[in-house]
Amino acid sequence: MDKIFRLDFWQKNDLMIVVSLIFAILIFATLLFFVMGLIKSKANLTELKARTRSWWFMSLIFIGATLINSTISYCALALLSFFAFRELYSQLDFRHSDRRAVFWAFLAIPIQYYLAYIGWYGAFIIFIPVVMFLFLPMRLVLKGDTDDIIKSMSLLQWVLMLTVFGISHMAYLLSLPEIPTFESGGRGLLLFLVFLTEINDVMQFTWGKLLGKHKIIPKVSPNKTWEGFIGGILSTTVIGYFLAFLTPLEPLTCALVSFGLAISGFVGDIVMSSVKRDIGVKDLGTSIPGHGGVLDRIDSLAYTAPVFFHLVYYLAY
Amino acid sequence: MQKYVLRFTYKWALRPFLRLFVGVNFDAPEFPPAGEIFIVAANHNSHLDTMTIMASLPRSVLHKVRPVAAADHFGKTKTKEKLVNYFVNTLLIQRKRDKDNPENDPINRMIKAIDDGYSLVLFPEGTRGEPEVRQPLKPGIAHVLRARPHVHYIPAYMSGMGKAMPKDDSLIVPHTSRIVFGKPQLVGQHEIEHIMERIESDFESLKARINPVKKTP
Repeated sequence: MDKIFRLDFWQKNDLMIVVSLIFAILIFATLLFFVMGLIKSKANLTELKARTRSWWFMSLIFIGATLINSTISYCALALLSFFAFRELYSQLDFRHSDRRAVFWAFLAIPIQYYLAYIGWYGAFIIFIPVVMFLFLPMRLVLKGDTDDIIKSMSLLQWVLMLTVFGISHMAYLLSLPEIPTFESGGRGLLLFLVFLTEINDVMQFTWGKLLGKHKIIPKVSPNKTWEGFIGGILSTTVIGYFLAFLTPLEPLTCALVSFGLAISGFVGDIVMSSVKRDIGVKDLGTSIPGHGGVLDRIDSLAYTAPVFFHLVYYLAY
Repeated sequence: MQKYVLRFTYKWALRPFLRLFVGVNFDAPEFPPAGEIFIVAANHNSHLDTMTIMASLPRSVLHKVRPVAAADHFGKTKTKEKLVNYFVNTLLIQRKRDKDNPENDPINRMIKAIDDGYSLVLFPEGTRGEPEVRQPLKPGIAHVLRARPHVHYIPAYMSGMGKAMPKDDSLIVPHTSRIVFGKPQLVGQHEIEHIMERIESDFESLKARINPVKKTP
């Protein structure tokens, strides 16, 4: 029964504090843009408003899926991987003869999440980097079309690593063994990871808008500045220090982990920016109003999830 | 009964399937007022095309719409014909004109369906062909529109379905796809060539709406 439906998060004060914090931020942002719209009616806030509205939806779905039901959380995360995988591979002009291999790559998604669900760490960690890495090229070769086959082999594996292997670490957080002194458990870790990654994005954006002058990587992402980068990292580290109660780590260690998380979030962001630049699109999809596609929103998570997972796994488990 | 089966199949089963699993982005198309007859003309790449167009239609007209299909392909066996007829309500025609037997002539059969109060879904390319490659358009649609000038014509363009389920393969591999509709219009009072040019240019402009200009090398 515990795996299907549980409402015990009401009693877990640690989780409730963060949930209230998320709603407080959302309400603040909504009110802020509403008032700004009244005062400066000429200011163009349509995109910011659309973004905030989408944040409401995403937060509600995420909080609902994570806190109430842990089986649904695994399914929801698998679905997220599925959408991200489909979005990215559709843009990459795979050959007609790659269809069977792509189909097998899609099948890897439920398998990977099932391995996370049953908590079989050894299989979870080698399934995509070893098993699929060896299997997919074989499936491509059996089709016999060797023109551009290296491109298909590498692209397929890369898309799978980025959108499925990386993201699935979020699901494995929920399967980590319980530590007696640490009450929030996997849900706390997942909440910490997602909240901090998104806060890091928002902070880098905000600091960049407020103080940004010196461009950090103008050829890839002209809006990213050193001021935004440093401001974002510092804010994220400080916030991570205060949210350490969601993790089994000491506050100072947690601040260090948050520092690593902030940097990898930035890296994930610019890696996806460069990919979009190469394809020649601004966004990878249209499914989230104001944000673009699914992968446009979770680009940094694809990097922060494995980094955070392995740091915590090394330090606390 | 069939009316409700069709509504359920397209609105509650196929549309969510196409949207969530295959990855089709639907359009919010405009249709002529209720009771008016229309012909949806679309490009053709995949079996998913008919499903996608049907799933885009307003639910109240679903049972009054007949996709036009080739008899040699879908009429192969009696069971297949019956199934296709029930769930897709198809109008099976032969590909070549038939001067000797006017009842069997594809143009006359389409006109008869219109006179019986049915709207049509038509693929002027005639065949699905190579995935994602346009075929030359056949003028049958223009003959029908000219014979019945009160019939609205609605252009539609799809992209991506030929990758999700191409002609020679019945395995569906999810692939982001999109359908866009043009505005309904009356073109029946023009010459055949003029109507065909119109359809051609409508397809081109819808295609440009789907594929925003990619970077130039």
